[in-house]
Amino acid sequence: MAEIGPKFFKEVKQISRDDILLRISHQKSMQSVYVGSSDAKIYSVDPMADKPEFHEFKGHTSYVMGLVDTEKHLVSGSYDRSLIWWDKESREIVRRVEDAHDRWIRNMFLSPDGQTVLSVGDDMVCKLWDAESGELVRELVSHQKITPNHFPNMLYATAVSPDGNLIATVDRIAKIKIWDFKTGEEVTEFEAPKCYTWDPKKRIHSIGGIRSVCFSPDSKSVAVGGIGPIGNIDHLESPGRVEIFNVASGEKTHEFEGDKKVIGLVEQIVFHPSGKWLMAVGGKHTGWVQFLDLEKKEVIRQFDVPMHVHQVAVTDDFSTVYGAGHGKLIVWSMVN
Amino acid sequence: MTLQKSFSRRRFLGQSTLAGAGAAASVMSLDILKSEAFSKQLKQKGKRVLLLWLAGGVSQLETFDPKPGRLTGGPFQAIQTAVPGVEISELMPKMAMRLKHTAIIRSLNTKIGDHGGGSRLMHLGRRDEPNLSYPDMGSVMARELGRLDSKVPDYVTFYTATEGRGNAVGHPGFLGSRYAPMFLTTDNKPQNLRRLETISDLDHRERADLRRVLSARFSQGRVSPVLGSHNVAYGRVRGLMSSEALFDITREPKSIQDKYGPTLFAQQTLVARRLIEAGTPFVKVSRAWWDSHGQNFETHLEMVTELDHVMSTLLDDLQERGLLEDTLVITLSEFGRTPTINGSLGRDHFARAWSATLSGCGIRGGTVFGSTDEDGQHVKDGEVGAAELFATIYAAVGIDPHHEYYVGSRPVPLVDVGTEVISEVLA
Repeated sequence: MAEIGPKFFKEVKQISRDDILLRISHQKSMQSVYVGSSDAKIYSVDPMADKPEFHEFKGHTSYVMGLVDTEKHLVSGSYDRSLIWWDKESREIVRRVEDAHDRWIRNMFLSPDGQTVLSVGDDMVCKLWDAESGELVRELVSHQKITPNHFPNMLYATAVSPDGNLIATVDRIAKIKIWDFKTGEEVTEFEAPKCYTWDPKKRIHSIGGIRSVCFSPDSKSVAVGGIGPIGNIDHLESPGRVEIFNVASGEKTHEFEGDKKVIGLVEQIVFHPSGKWLMAVGGKHTGWVQFLDLEKKEVIRQFDVPMHVHQVAVTDDFSTVYGAGHGKLIVWSMVN
Repeated sequence: MTLQKSFSRRRFLGQSTLAGAGAAASVMSLDILKSEAFSKQLKQKGKRVLLLWLAGGVSQLETFDPKPGRLTGGPFQAIQTAVPGVEISELMPKMAMRLKHTAIIRSLNTKIGDHGGGSRLMHLGRRDEPNLSYPDMGSVMARELGRLDSKVPDYVTFYTATEGRGNAVGHPGFLGSRYAPMFLTTDNKPQNLRRLETISDLDHRERADLRRVLSARFSQGRVSPVLGSHNVAYGRVRGLMSSEALFDITREPKSIQDKYGPTLFAQQTLVARRLIEAGTPFVKVSRAWWDSHGQNFETHLEMVTELDHVMSTLLDDLQERGLLEDTLVITLSEFGRTPTINGSLGRDHFARAWSATLSGCGIRGGTVFGSTDEDGQHVKDGEVGAAELFATIYAAVGIDPHHEYYVGSRPVPLVDVGTEVISEVLA
């Protein structure tokens, strides 16, 4: 039986494009993926085909920033503030929720039972939608709309714990809020202040924020990713940063700061089902994939990759990783 | 070297009539600035310029020349403005409602893509020359629009951020230090403007008298415009000392302070409005730093949102006071930003096709001059450079852009010979 693991990580295929691929979702029953693009379209594609064909879904008018596959439908969210439920076969719109958020939709997540679609936007609200009917179920409201320095806050990401009990939301000023999934009550709040840089003197604006969030497989911890403190905020010139908190105690249990090869934003974190290690992806002008050992608290392996990675989709057995990024779609294998 | 200026009827008349306004604009009588009658009087007297200097290079695509639906356009949508057929970025909804006061120039090609060179060009309106030190726009405005007897400073510039500050220093050049700016960097109020507590008022006056006597003795037999300018600058010290109240926004009603808002840029713009209202002919408020090589869209979401609020509040405020007709508000950077989006979701320096705006005095509001191609990579129509823009700015406030100073026997035109104003944006 073939071995699978970080030490076998290697590129299998690379497809170049003119656009920026921002989101990706893997079709479990097939060898194909959906990608959300800066050209406002979604594409389905089998990247391993000899001549990959990109089949388009047209309906949004700005960057596609959320993409979840409910099995029955593909659901997307965009900076155009709308959510769209798609027929996966015909690529037709089944349902559109205009102004699903008052401002940009930044990200989406599908609950583990597949019944609820979550969306977050710059109105600083996390919204829960019935995955089947598209009805709004609940709104989670308490992130500050304005930063302490009087600028718009941004709500970057959300995740649901594998046991389905908790929701995490993360924002630009590095606040992490934990919510009860069933009641919508706010349970607790943590901070990762090194992920937000406010420059009061040289450039008088900010950069950073927590860009990624993921619960551990046992639902007891939550990992967040972003970028460390930046001197020159014109650029993403600081190490990528991952911090892990124990949800019950609020204690920070892990802190990983990238080295000089891991510069830029951590755009996504994926735990291995064993809970022993995780994968972090991101970048600045180009990107990287990093594997972190949670028991030894050290880097297992890290790889430079030829694109800023915005999101990855991983097969259930962790054998294949599909990456969406700046001007490329890349397939990696983790099989010996 | 001697400096003269060709005879100007407008300047002669301006000085004659404006002398009478000196008392009205006295800082000691600031409370009357709030009266409608005073605003009307000021409106008849002089032109003013308020430059919002967007240091580091604001993106034209995220402000006044959006390209929605193109890969270069970024994520922001374009929105319809109050002017039919004209769209700007969705980040500027307040300005969209007020565009009838504003002309957009979308076809600047200024060719210099580094901060230092670009800033210099967009301060002087021309390239440097090795053997002649040109004055910047503020110094020219101070000379042309200022009053000889003014008790308010006639060129004030704010630049609080440290990045890029050295590129935006006011420069009187051959006009002399009389027209150098009051340059505020660390606070909204001038440093060291008050008389030292250890010096009595009488002592202060006597020191000034002594300096004047010694200076007069030194000047005997010397012909120097620089020396003369230096002495004039000293002569204005006590007047400027009394202007401190202008920098104190707590003297504004709270409702006005609230309208502008709490950010540094907003507060400095409110001070600028107070200075303009009191008779200062040129104020530059610098908002730095826009140099978004990484995360262009987050940076512009923060900063354009602020610009939209501050600029629209300023235009409303000037209009309500009857000052907009005589106050030219400019937004300008050293260059724009690349249509191509880099891997860090940033935009880089771009001087080939970018935008500036002119609002208020002398401007045909609602006009859009020039255009760029569908991706914003090149100017399609109406290409203009710094010289045309400066000529237009001077013309908007009633200054003939083709008149000449004399430096020695050399005639030096305000803008390069052959430059034409952009008449389409002038009222």
